[in-house]
Amino acid sequence: MRTRLSALIALTAVGSLVLAGCTSGGDASDASAPRSGGTLTYATGDAEPTCLDPHVGGNYPQALVSTQYLESLVSKDSDGEIVPWLATSWEESSDGLSWTFDLRDDVAFSDGTPFDAAAVAANVAHLQDPETLSSTGYLALGKVTGVEAVDEHTARFDLSAPDSALLESLTQPWVAMESPTALERSQEENCESPVGTGPFVVESWTKQDRVVLTRNDDHTSPPADAAHDGPAYLDEIVWRFIPDSAARYAALQAGQVDVIDNVQPDTLVAAGKDDALAEIDAPRPGAANRIELNSGKAPFDDERVREAFITGVDVTDGIDSLFFGTAERSYSPLSSVEPLAYSDPSLFEVDVDAANALLDDAGWTERDSDGFRTKGGERLTLEFPVSTNQSIPAEQSLFEQIQAGARDLGFDVVLSPLDVSSWYGALAANDYDLVSAPYTKVGPDVLRILYDTAGITPAPSGYFANLAQLSDPALDDLLKRASETSDADERADLYEQAQTIVLESRTVLPLYDQQNHYLVGPAVTGVRALPPVSAVTLYDAYTVD
Amino acid sequence: MTRTPSTEADGAVDGPTEATVPEPRRRGVVPAPLRWVTGRLVGAVVVLWAVATLIFFAIRLVPGDPAEAILGGPGSQASAEALALVREQYGLDDPLVVQYLAQLGRLVVGDLGTSYSLRTDVSGLLLEQLPGTVLLAVLSLVVAWALALGTAWWATLGGRTAAAVSSSLEIVASAVPHFWLAGVLVLVLSTQLGWLPPVSTGTPVGIVLPVVTLAIPVAGFLGQVTRDSLLDAAAAPFALTARARGESRSGLFRRHLLRHAALPGLALSGWAFGSLLSGAVVVESIFARPGLGRTLLQAVTLRDIPLVTGVALASALAYVVVVALGDLAERAVDPRERAA
Amino acid sequence: MTVIAELPRVRSRARARVRPPEVAAAIVLGAVVLAAVAPQLLAPGDPLAVSPVDAFSPPGLAHPFGTDESGRGIWTRVVHGTGASLSIGAMATLIGTALGVVLGVAAGFGGGRLPGRIADAGVSRLLEVLFALPGLLLALVVIAFTGPGAVPATIAVGLATAPGYARIVRSQVVRVRRSAMVEAAVVLGRRPGTVLLRHVLPNALAPVVVLATLGLGQAVVWASSLSYLGLGAPPPAPEWGAMLSAGRTYSTTAWWMTVFPGLAVVVTAASATVLGRALARRGSELP
Repeated sequence: MRTRLSALIALTAVGSLVLAGCTSGGDASDASAPRSGGTLTYATGDAEPTCLDPHVGGNYPQALVSTQYLESLVSKDSDGEIVPWLATSWEESSDGLSWTFDLRDDVAFSDGTPFDAAAVAANVAHLQDPETLSSTGYLALGKVTGVEAVDEHTARFDLSAPDSALLESLTQPWVAMESPTALERSQEENCESPVGTGPFVVESWTKQDRVVLTRNDDHTSPPADAAHDGPAYLDEIVWRFIPDSAARYAALQAGQVDVIDNVQPDTLVAAGKDDALAEIDAPRPGAANRIELNSGKAPFDDERVREAFITGVDVTDGIDSLFFGTAERSYSPLSSVEPLAYSDPSLFEVDVDAANALLDDAGWTERDSDGFRTKGGERLTLEFPVSTNQSIPAEQSLFEQIQAGARDLGFDVVLSPLDVSSWYGALAANDYDLVSAPYTKVGPDVLRILYDTAGITPAPSGYFANLAQLSDPALDDLLKRASETSDADERADLYEQAQTIVLESRTVLPLYDQQNHYLVGPAVTGVRALPPVSAVTLYDAYTVD
Repeated sequence: MTRTPSTEADGAVDGPTEATVPEPRRRGVVPAPLRWVTGRLVGAVVVLWAVATLIFFAIRLVPGDPAEAILGGPGSQASAEALALVREQYGLDDPLVVQYLAQLGRLVVGDLGTSYSLRTDVSGLLLEQLPGTVLLAVLSLVVAWALALGTAWWATLGGRTAAAVSSSLEIVASAVPHFWLAGVLVLVLSTQLGWLPPVSTGTPVGIVLPVVTLAIPVAGFLGQVTRDSLLDAAAAPFALTARARGESRSGLFRRHLLRHAALPGLALSGWAFGSLLSGAVVVESIFARPGLGRTLLQAVTLRDIPLVTGVALASALAYVVVVALGDLAERAVDPRERAA
Repeated sequence: MTVIAELPRVRSRARARVRPPEVAAAIVLGAVVLAAVAPQLLAPGDPLAVSPVDAFSPPGLAHPFGTDESGRGIWTRVVHGTGASLSIGAMATLIGTALGVVLGVAAGFGGGRLPGRIADAGVSRLLEVLFALPGLLLALVVIAFTGPGAVPATIAVGLATAPGYARIVRSQVVRVRRSAMVEAAVVLGRRPGTVLLRHVLPNALAPVVVLATLGLGQAVVWASSLSYLGLGAPPPAPEWGAMLSAGRTYSTTAWWMTVFPGLAVVVTAASATVLGRALARRGSELP
């Protein structure tokens, strides 16, 4: 299972590198050497970040743009292996309670401050400082008690318990390294122009319009799997915010922008027919896109009802037609880019008769005048709040189809499209039976965040991540041992067992990978997605005629 | 020369004029222009105060914690520190009267608070975004006027078919939603013909599509109103007299009818500007033009109340200014107003 | 002192006969109302029936307007969506006119006496404030506080249209109040309430009906705009604005998903406008 997935990932990566290298018209002379100069315009459909420093908060739009100017200690290659970046080598202590990293000695931040162990310590302190208001980075370093500068270029991370996910966490852009001098400025200042070691530097940010990045000529530290080293080729990147997907694509076709993201399925198909455009398919890591069933309250506290819903509603046909075949059905709680993802299609075979029998078994035998099942006078209603921010139109249509399919079984699915704020409010108030909440994190440790019993306790803000409200002591134990072992094989085995429990609990209906597609126009090439979180990196990109 | 006798020039919006003798206007001691300006200023201040007051109470009437509401609603996931900071900033633990006076005090100084979603000072952001939207609205108003007068001219001079065609065009134009029109225009003019860029570029050519999209529905309305009063004026005795004296059709239009036609439109310019500001919300989002409309949409989605307040006040101010300018224009065009 | 005299109309117009556009508009609106009240008669299918295998079919025999991304017929959904789309616009117009009448009467009825003048000044200032936050902006501000949904959208659009009606009603009320007929009623000792109900209101409301017809078209457009922005009726309700919003994503491949719902909005609004203007013309010809 794992080797097949690795091969698939490798193939996709190679494929996308080849595609990314393709230029318009298949002109032989365009397989030219990279040349310096030019401006690349990138149009993102994601929400504009509120702060360009990914330490603050920590969401995907921040990861996308900060990948151009910030770098992390380690990275991942397309096979899923951890490779050196700002750290050259690392070693775990025998008791697992500390990790020692050897750092590069030839790197400086773009403001001149040298990159050293003290800088690493300052960054971790910044992330763990409550005033920074970090959420993603803070969670990623949850077990780190402190960082000690053993010498100028050696940093030791001290942990409260062994953490097998530490390296994976450190590949993420949300724990990237920033200049300690810059971190000492006010948060407002640092949000406007964070300072890092990356190939580009933030020059200006015009709110609601664009961010302008210029080349860092002193850049020396690409990740180990980059195509070249030294400074980037592009002079400048213009990072525009264009929320309307049709407008984004029209701008790409007109040559107004060179790269776009958040490409909708039907646009992918249309672009596929256009030789001038290249596609990069880079699913996000962490959890797959799935629907979670709230097992914490009626009617889904009854396992039979959950199983009836999962085996009675067909989603594959809908996914194929709505996504035009660009999204593959997933049967795993984890994304397919995770080497340790485990999937079991047999659990999700559709059998409508069996589903109906299960519902009868569970006592939902009567039907009311509208055709919905009732028990003791109460209708089998399922509340499904949908965040219009997070669910693309094709996904919202899929939910409508699921609603129609569930109707035949007798379920009354009530879809409520909500803005982000109201959606979080509904979740915090336990006002949901079905929900789709994507979670991006590098590594299978995301399972602990999503399915451990501790995840049911709300944070002070009211949010909790274990929306399936799954509480299984055996699972908790597996996840704890998996996060503490240093044996790779044991870890893989434990996570496989954990995923089996999650799937068999019937609290998760996996749909597809978190879709993440980029389209590249004919004027540039060398664009790729950096493996850790599949964020676009323009370091190797250059303009062509 | 002969003063053009009055017709129902101001009847388009306010209904038929009174059939009886109106009360005489009193001449005050203060000269007219000064009185007018002060009147307008006072009116503007009253409107702004009212908007600010309404929003002040709206925040506190919404169920739940006002601090949370300011930071983005029930699901804002605001940290305890952020909530405490907002409580202190807005003095939410003080008695209501104190809060209200403090809020008014802040507004007078120009402190509109901080947008939590954009992490920036609201007044600064507004000053940045206002020119773009105002430019868009003003250009669209000009284009709408040109279209409306142009079709009116064509209708008067062109005869029956021209009148019928232009009438239908105007009605359809006024019924078209902005987002649909934008899609059609981009599809035809941008994707198929490649004449114009689909998103704003920062150069003048990038503003053409947004302006046309905004102008067409308003042109439809202005056209209908203009034509009505144009036809009324064209049927009045003075028009017949002018023609009898040898005035050409275009001369009649230019020298006499145009003023009558323009009046109700000018009276409606305030409304038209407001409609353009509304349309800017959709148009700026679709064409990726930075501006107040797009900012407002984002603010509403994120329930960022300080930003919503700021945009509401800015738009109210812009509206009041435009109405005042429209009044001035009316006085310039209509000699009867000046004599009073 | 200037005297503004009303000129008699000398426009040589043909007798007020019914013209083709008005007939067409009346037929269209009739069909629209029928679709709103009994959609099954015009489109017997089920607007909610998904059929992925039929997705994205272009207009043809089986589906005259084509199908959407879930295989549902666009013709069926446009017809069945008439009720939802129209009701928001109609409710909003109703709210706007009702509010407008109340405000207009409050402002105009008081007459020369002090309480009347205060009411007039107060209400006029309130109207100015409402005017200052034009249509969609006001709706958005309201939704910022209430959250999105069909009901807040309806109320917001209604509030936004009220000032226009109020202004007309006010000037009508003032005009009628000063007329000889009302003077006579007052002299004869009729109570203000009776005067209001029997004389002022019936005469003042005539133009309101005309404007409401015109306003209905606008309200439908605004409501569809709000749905387009995701702030209106929730799925899978076949509301025109929501259909336009969903169809826009697929506009390059499936043009019929945006063209037909868009046409429905335009045709309904335009027909309402034509009828409204016809009514206005009739009204102004009465002696």
